[in-house]
Amino acid sequence: MTFSVKRFMAIFQKDVKDLYRNLYISSTALMPLILAVIYSRLGDIPLSMYMLVITLSLALVGTFLQCAMIAEEKEKNTLRGLMLSPATLTEILAGKSAVTIVITVIVTAVSMFIMDFSFTGRGWLIAGIILTLIFFIVLGTWMGLITRSVMEASIYVLPVMLIFGMGNMFMELVDQFRLLQVLEYTPGIQLEQIAEIADTGGSLSQLGKAFAIIGAWVAATLVLTIVTFKKRMMD
Amino acid sequence: MIEVKSLEKIFGKKQALHEVSFQVKKGETFGFLGPSGSGKTTTIKILTGQMRQTAGTANVFGIPATQLNTPEYRKRFGVVTDNSGLYVRLTIYDNLKLYADLYGTSLKRIDEALEAVNLGTEKKTQVAKLSKGMTQRVLLARTLLHQPKLLFLDEPTSALDPANSKHIHNGLKELNRQGTTIFLTTHDMEEADHLCDKVAFLNKGVVQLLDEPKQLKKQYREEIICMELKDGRELEIPLKASSAEEIQQYISREMVERIYTKEPTLGDIFVEVTGRELV
Repeated sequence: MTFSVKRFMAIFQKDVKDLYRNLYISSTALMPLILAVIYSRLGDIPLSMYMLVITLSLALVGTFLQCAMIAEEKEKNTLRGLMLSPATLTEILAGKSAVTIVITVIVTAVSMFIMDFSFTGRGWLIAGIILTLIFFIVLGTWMGLITRSVMEASIYVLPVMLIFGMGNMFMELVDQFRLLQVLEYTPGIQLEQIAEIADTGGSLSQLGKAFAIIGAWVAATLVLTIVTFKKRMMD
Repeated sequence: MIEVKSLEKIFGKKQALHEVSFQVKKGETFGFLGPSGSGKTTTIKILTGQMRQTAGTANVFGIPATQLNTPEYRKRFGVVTDNSGLYVRLTIYDNLKLYADLYGTSLKRIDEALEAVNLGTEKKTQVAKLSKGMTQRVLLARTLLHQPKLLFLDEPTSALDPANSKHIHNGLKELNRQGTTIFLTTHDMEEADHLCDKVAFLNKGVVQLLDEPKQLKKQYREEIICMELKDGRELEIPLKASSAEEIQQYISREMVERIYTKEPTLGDIFVEVTGRELV
């Protein structure tokens, strides 16, 4: 399988230019920043609050951006053109994912800067964030394949934001609604656990379990995306 | 260049293509003609590897069309369909630059391709501000960037006015003269007559006629000579030796305004063969 850096860069540059002019999509990136500004005004911020903003950034920006970019390519009939060009699917998705990664990382970093959270000495958390970001981007790619327009994508992203992005908030209600216990296995909660374990000096096996759960989510969404793609692109 | 044998495509219970067979030789302009819904776009999708056939073979460049999905093969052909899209927030130049980079062609080709479609002065215009006809021309320019060996055009001038259609036709003729093989689908019979070396009539997924336009017109022409007289009368005289004397009489009496043979258009032939209008 070939991978051309030139073609990857061409798609990356096009998407950056296009996104820059697309206020509807790019304004989504503002939500975690607004939340960060509000939370930064609170006095003592607990770790869970930081993690909520990080997870929300990853879910909202990572998933929605990726999903909306692909959905819009389908809506405007531009994806076929790309698919018929020498660009491979890997190059197309890598170019789009690179844009999503850059914007998500900037939004997350700026949010944490606003909230005065330091990543120094938090290598495990950074590794967890990277793995979780991969999950959200793959999820966004899958959603992009099943949605037909940006409008549809913005509706589909709502449950993702609630379940995966704001799961941390719902965990407070587990005592009342036992069903919410399943949220414990979502990447956002696992990321919070990684942060807690790493900060309190927990064991590697505890960390390993959290990473394995997020890894399983990545693998599952990856399989789902590949199967969906093959089904959608060839009759 | 293209070899199609007994091609079948079935969507659920609907047979879109039935026993379709034809060949397109290198350097030819081949017209695939038929009304909307006759299976033209399905054929292009199969030939460009976007869709699998239900049965039969479709070879392009000597290999099955399903194997065209490598960068090397994709550089050898270009496709313009009636629903191809452009990035509307970007300029014409940015749209073409993306494809120049993807095909690895020089950026100089952007100006040349835009000149070919009469849009040389518009490259900084945002695509959102273009008319449908201009958008169609940008799509054509995008396909011309990498100078493909084989060009698939699905209704390329359907949204263009006569002046721009003529400009595109001249460009396609020039491209063909330079060696590009063109596979054209259209329901514009005049366009097909003007551009194509060979045409196939597709009706309800079946190829009903396949030949050179000149041969078809010869085969289907009416064997009569029409004569318009100075007094306004129009006569139709059978084209046979015994008519010569009658015609000569009109000429010697200086009664003739003009004499012509009655040739059918490809549209007339299509209607005669399929019993269907080209809509």
